[in-house]
Amino acid sequence: MEQIVSMIGWKTAKTIAGLVGVLIFVVFNALILTWAERKVAGHMQRRIGPKEVGPYGLIQPIADALKLLGKEILTPRAVDRPLYFLAPILIFVPVLVSFIVIPFDASLQVKDINVGILVILAFSSLSVLSILMAGWGSNNKYALIGAIRSVAQNIAYEIPLLLALLPVIMMTNSFSLKAIVEAQKGLWFVFYQPLAFCIYFIASVAETNRTPFDLPEAESELVAGYHTEYSGMRFALFFLAEYTNIFIVSAIAVTFFLGGYQGPFLPGIIWFLLKSYLLVFVIMWLRWTFPRVRFDQLLNISWKALIPLAFINLLLTGGLLKL
Amino acid sequence: MNFGEIIFLLIIIVTMGGALMAILSGSIVYALMGLVTAMFGVAGLYIYLDSPFLAMMQILIYVGAVSVLIAFAVMLIGPLYRRPKEWTTAGKFGAALGVALVTLFMFVRFVTGTFPRGGNPFFDMTTKEIGRLFFDNLVLPFELISLLIVVAILGAIMLALFSRGNK
Repeated sequence: MEQIVSMIGWKTAKTIAGLVGVLIFVVFNALILTWAERKVAGHMQRRIGPKEVGPYGLIQPIADALKLLGKEILTPRAVDRPLYFLAPILIFVPVLVSFIVIPFDASLQVKDINVGILVILAFSSLSVLSILMAGWGSNNKYALIGAIRSVAQNIAYEIPLLLALLPVIMMTNSFSLKAIVEAQKGLWFVFYQPLAFCIYFIASVAETNRTPFDLPEAESELVAGYHTEYSGMRFALFFLAEYTNIFIVSAIAVTFFLGGYQGPFLPGIIWFLLKSYLLVFVIMWLRWTFPRVRFDQLLNISWKALIPLAFINLLLTGGLLKL
Repeated sequence: MNFGEIIFLLIIIVTMGGALMAILSGSIVYALMGLVTAMFGVAGLYIYLDSPFLAMMQILIYVGAVSVLIAFAVMLIGPLYRRPKEWTTAGKFGAALGVALVTLFMFVRFVTGTFPRGGNPFFDMTTKEIGRLFFDNLVLPFELISLLIVVAILGAIMLALFSRGNK
């Protein structure tokens, strides 16, 4: 062990250990979230949700995972093979990269990059491309329609997402996530920037393709959207990426607006996870209370409401900072 | 050959491979994927030159926005299953010659000129300094670029309005 560390250097060893930790966390997070989603859905519909496997059905997701692992992986004959195989792998890249820069605690961060938030935003655009590859490669009309919808939606909602994060970056003069959290020692940015927080949250729900903005995978119209033709573990990878993305957008919201790991009494990581999972709960809550928006409504919300509001907010923030 | 040079070679291979794929593939979707790969390679080169901000901007703008827009345009226009018309061999060679000459000119220009090399403090730039440069020394090019973007937006609006009027 020590030989390896001395060979590759302490910094690289720390990064590799962090990446392994991230992988474990991603799987663990997806297990918790699938369980939580079913419980939340159950209780909101006056059901109990899973309860047979383990206490409160807690081992249910492991049973689900085993089922998915055991399933036969089908490959339809007419698929575009390279794209079809590459898509579920590629959708995982942004997920892993994003976790590198998120500060879980004052010292619990794989690497503090001085353009941290740009790393997340830049790589998150890869998920659109992999959805596109999945939709195109599947050679299926439902998948292709889902992919086209996803692209249109992502173009529309990436702009308000970026514009809502910019005021905070202007206030802290830094792209580093850790610096942004440290700047919120006194008052959280959600109190300075309530509008930006709302815009960010709406746009992030749309970016993760969750209801009420789940048009790319609307099961009542498109079977399953872009992952219609995927089965077994390939489907599980899309699923894993979706749940991890929900956590990532919540974690960014917490880092930017809700003080990150700052909080009294409890250690930082507990505060961070508590706040993040609270936002994840809100996203699930939205799914089980709102109907899906129509496509014209979806685009109108972004282009006619969120983007102008975000611009006004940005201008006001810039003006107030310089006064 | 040390570790850094191996990574540099890998980045070069990825960039060139992506560019070749963009040119040579018959399907427009594969051409787009090649373009994305090449863009990633260029971003890798920026990281190699110690400018992570530029690299992230490269990915954010060219991979995140431009290629997604191209994909969107491709899917809107269609027909998706028809192969695009092939260029003639003479046309391909002509284009290759043109690109090669421009590249050679730029290469000679930069190698003979005083181009700051890696490790130079010029490259250890923070975003703050880049912003200051934009509004200090390079304010005219910056404004010209914004003028170009305004013209492009106006053109897009005009196109959209005219096509709607014709229906």
